[in-house]
Amino acid sequence: MNKKFTEIKGKRVSLTNLDKDLYPAYGFTKAHVLEYYRSVSQFIIPHLKDRALTLKRYPDGVEKEYFYEKRCPSHRPSWVKTADVPQSDGGQMTYCVVNDLESLIWVGNLASLELHTPLSKANSPGIADAVVFDLDPGDHADILDCARVALILRDLLAELKLTTYTKTSGQKGLHVLVPLNNNEATFDETKRFSKSTAEVMQTNYPDLVTAKQAKELRKGRVFINWSQNDAKKTMVCVYSLRAREKPFVSFPVGWEELEDAERDRDSSRLHILYADALKRLEKKGDLFKEALTKKQRLPVY
Amino acid sequence: MKKQRAAKLPAKLSSKGEHEPAHQSIWSGTISFSLVAIPVHLVKAVEPGRVSFHLLHSKDYSPLLRRMVCPEEEKPVPPEEIIRGYEIAPGNHILITDEELESVSPERSRTIEIIEFIDMEEVDPVYFDHPYYLVPSKGGEKAYSLLVEVMRRTNKAGLAKFVLGEREYLVAIKSTEGALSLITLHYSDEVLGSDDIAPAETKIENEEKKRMKKIIHEMTAGYSPEKYADQRSKGILELLKKRAKAKGYVEAPEIEEEEEGEGPADLVALLRKSMAKVKKNK
Repeated sequence: MNKKFTEIKGKRVSLTNLDKDLYPAYGFTKAHVLEYYRSVSQFIIPHLKDRALTLKRYPDGVEKEYFYEKRCPSHRPSWVKTADVPQSDGGQMTYCVVNDLESLIWVGNLASLELHTPLSKANSPGIADAVVFDLDPGDHADILDCARVALILRDLLAELKLTTYTKTSGQKGLHVLVPLNNNEATFDETKRFSKSTAEVMQTNYPDLVTAKQAKELRKGRVFINWSQNDAKKTMVCVYSLRAREKPFVSFPVGWEELEDAERDRDSSRLHILYADALKRLEKKGDLFKEALTKKQRLPVY
Repeated sequence: MKKQRAAKLPAKLSSKGEHEPAHQSIWSGTISFSLVAIPVHLVKAVEPGRVSFHLLHSKDYSPLLRRMVCPEEEKPVPPEEIIRGYEIAPGNHILITDEELESVSPERSRTIEIIEFIDMEEVDPVYFDHPYYLVPSKGGEKAYSLLVEVMRRTNKAGLAKFVLGEREYLVAIKSTEGALSLITLHYSDEVLGSDDIAPAETKIENEEKKRMKKIIHEMTAGYSPEKYADQRSKGILELLKKRAKAKGYVEAPEIEEEEEGEGPADLVALLRKSMAKVKKNK
């Protein structure tokens, strides 16, 4: 196994198998992956910070087997921060927490192409920082249908004085986020809110939307997966790579940009490759910054 | 007990063939030797036609799940708590991590390097492991055809080392009906010797030899595999078709993920009112 070392802020990070091609159909090695995460570090780290990280590891690349790793590997360097999070079975689990570049690179070196985070911080696992609507197109529906649903959701939630943000999932769907950051919303509340919203959407747009998981119902429709609003669930972090044929990224999309893509029926603008992601970040910075700071409250009823 | 569904021949059984050839690429790279490099990809050469069954719960027809269960705790073990151990004695294991395993696995490679050419007849079929086809990738067609033709004429096969998945295989590349096939070979230490199997030499009469030769000669035919088919698979498929017509099929209960029910009335009313406004503004 070829092994190299890099030193970040006095910390030694060992880098292994740098020339292993993790996206063979495209040609994107582990070195490319690490370079990508290094380049986006200042943007992604605020979104990973203080959250229990779930690794999705592809030791032999995207075409081969992967596994989710919640427990922070015991062979971690001493400087990798961890958090003990209570589990539903009464026990605790030690997760990795990525608050700095060296931990990000270490995690990347484990071939964790995808980084998944919960909607809560590790020290307040029952408090939801945001409501999320995970828009997932069924068979014969696509990301442009998701865009339509997202735009309606934006308008609906605006009526409730809620500001929303959206990002691509990096796969076929979109995530619409309602930041709360009020330190009091429980997952019971956010789940109830998202479920009711999804059901009202389904009633009003029965040909476009379903609020139910059943595969048959999803055909030709967009499934609003409200059940992601759960302390136990994680979602792909903004700016994370996705394990697809090509290195696509979960990336923020401005509402105007989404309107344009929907109007022009141009789905290609909603599939953002790593290089495009880097360019856009350089030009516009973190479009998802306010998702972390904007304080809002769900309507009182 | 749930009712059986009315007769309707499922699409899976009504179509003619059980499976269509799936030429999905498993690996891509180049075959190389001397100054030759041929871009190719690897596809399956066989699709065993076994008819497989699911195990169901007789009470409600739910397909059964396999779970990894800890006999000590008598409950399923989550994946993150599963590790590997090599048994050295009953109950005694040496622990090994995925990282450690990875460290001894061969590096993935994009080439099949032919080391030497051999006479295929010298390789006894007990060494054959699994067959694949090599398909020429764009730009490789000419060199591919040339290699197919020359290997066919000379009856030679290329011997190569090839990393697929976690393992390095010894493979033979040969010409098969105008295409290149790749057969993974067992390493010699995997093949059990026949020394104990061959009986000690005894004297055989010339007459006996002659008689046996004659019988074999009389029964000799060209090899035409299409004459034979797996009778049991055929029989099972026929049986399934009859069953489907006569008795239909059973359906597993739908698994409802979340509890049903309306959200809080006031919230729903609020959302409905807002939705009406949104629709009006459009």
